[in-house]
Amino acid sequence: MSVAEITEIALEQAPPTGLWRDAFRRMRRNPGAIFGLFVIGFFAFVAIFAPLIAPFDPRHQDLSLIVDGCCPGPSRDHLLGVDDLGRDELSRLIYGARYSLLIGVVAVTVGLTLGMFLGATAGYFRRLDGLIMRLMDIMLAIPGFLMAIGIVALFGGGGLLQVMLAIGIVNVPIFARLMRGSILGQRETDYVLAARAIGVPGRQILGSHIMPNAISPVIVAGTLALATSIIDAAGLGFLGLGPQDPATPEWGTMLTGTVRYLQTQPLLAIFPGLAIVIVVMGFNLLGDGLREALDPKLRGRA
Amino acid sequence: MLRFVVRRLFLLVPILIGLSLLVFFWIRALPGSPAEALLGERATPDSIAQARDQYGLDDPLYVQYWRYVQTVGSGDLGTSIASHRPITEELRERFPATIELAFSAMLFATLIGVPLGFFAAKRYGGIFDNSSLFLSLIGVSIPIFFLAILLKWLFAVNLGWLPSVGRQDVLIDAGHPTNFYVLDGIVTGNWNAAWDAAKHLILPGIALATIPLAIIARITRASVLDVQNEDYVRTARAKGLAPRTVDRRHVLRNAMLPVTTIIGLQVGLLLSGAILTETVFAFPGLGSWLQMAIENRDYPVLQGGILFVAMVVVVVNLLVDISYGLLNPRVRLAGR
Repeated sequence: MSVAEITEIALEQAPPTGLWRDAFRRMRRNPGAIFGLFVIGFFAFVAIFAPLIAPFDPRHQDLSLIVDGCCPGPSRDHLLGVDDLGRDELSRLIYGARYSLLIGVVAVTVGLTLGMFLGATAGYFRRLDGLIMRLMDIMLAIPGFLMAIGIVALFGGGGLLQVMLAIGIVNVPIFARLMRGSILGQRETDYVLAARAIGVPGRQILGSHIMPNAISPVIVAGTLALATSIIDAAGLGFLGLGPQDPATPEWGTMLTGTVRYLQTQPLLAIFPGLAIVIVVMGFNLLGDGLREALDPKLRGRA
Repeated sequence: MLRFVVRRLFLLVPILIGLSLLVFFWIRALPGSPAEALLGERATPDSIAQARDQYGLDDPLYVQYWRYVQTVGSGDLGTSIASHRPITEELRERFPATIELAFSAMLFATLIGVPLGFFAAKRYGGIFDNSSLFLSLIGVSIPIFFLAILLKWLFAVNLGWLPSVGRQDVLIDAGHPTNFYVLDGIVTGNWNAAWDAAKHLILPGIALATIPLAIIARITRASVLDVQNEDYVRTARAKGLAPRTVDRRHVLRNAMLPVTTIIGLQVGLLLSGAILTETVFAFPGLGSWLQMAIENRDYPVLQGGILFVAMVVVVVNLLVDISYGLLNPRVRLAGR
């Protein structure tokens, strides 16, 4: 028997199982998480290929369709009807997926990046801990939605970019706290002590030893934050702080105008609202599924 | 216990200083000059000059900040651009409305959420459990203003069961000694007015309650599941106590500890949600007041409102902290 054969057998006997591979296997058995992933995939597909899917231009007005001051409901040409300016509702919903997903992803990326940086700094370099965490406490004292409104005002009023940045900043303290807690938990472990003992510099310990182990709760929180960010962005849009061009088919903004037509055409409010509910539910399901898959404490319970 | 409270009070100081700094610099960082932010878009060069003088906007920043702390400390939050009235005066009228609304929402969320979570945990994995999980998933996924619109459409516009706007029917002639309309009706013996005010609270109250309801149900369920497996529960069962006694005295009482904290921590969420809910129902509280301030670019109102709301959140969190210390000796003694 040659040496090569022996190593081959040894490899076969112990297939590598990492955290992520395990987590993925557990996720696959969770119907909720799979459904969430499917919903998100569907909306992402719709958003990317909106120009190909949408039957009409979402900004095109056809006032000849308006009957008695408002909007006819579903018909063969316009599957979900038209809005108060004769724009095709389905096309607006399809394009709206772009804005909601974009706002969510950018806002969470901003919040995640800043928050993880601040949280990791506070958790690892203890001298900065007090200062950073007090700042986060102050930010957490202001209700998130109200703070987002204040930040949008700072950036000169409503707008897509303003909304994304505002919601991102509101998310910062959440991620900072989580990251700090997670890092503090990892700091005391034996492998960090070992790395320090052989003289690995602090920044490298943080980057290549602590971070990869501390990151899974942050990923779960990030997925769930996508859900709340989309809701908050729609809320800002509803208050008129969203995209400043009212023709923009953003779901929250679409809901604003429809309140006037509740009596005659409630579907105009129901469609964009349902779109938000479904996509947010997708992120919530995926987030919960990830938490169950990644958190060793929950294993075997759910 | 006193030491615990005093320690918590001291921790409040840097947060209050930070908050005041934040709102102070916020209004000065807004686009345009601070004088314009304080006076609104229709400011004339004359009134701007007057404001610079009145607010001392040419003084060094630390002088201005110190003056701001002093005015706020004396109970003056500035003047609204839109109504030209002192902000504290408007707060006195509007805050009770929001307290009333938030209180009804919390009452509803707790009365439904705790039993929902408890029975879901008792029938863990069953149909009731799964449907309550699904309901709470919808609860955290639905934008509050969309739910408010749906409720308004269904119960006010369509069925006409409940009023759709305001706090009280304009035709009702009622005195308002406390500005809590339900309480006012009871105090003045005007039952009709009290009932009408209560009816106006139902729809916005339900809309505002959904997120807290979903969260309370989830936490109660998880907490009951944890407590059920504790040794003392097994002991209680083993010594032959009736199942209901065990549930009430041993399971529920201990499971409620995290739930009470969560209930307290919903305040910020409620005040955020009030902005959207009150806007949909034209409910004249703090939220619709802030929404109008956004629309009118009434920055002094926003500044005063943000500071006030943040202080409310800080104080409520402190009270939750202290009450948690009272309920749970382990927390109180940990800081020693």
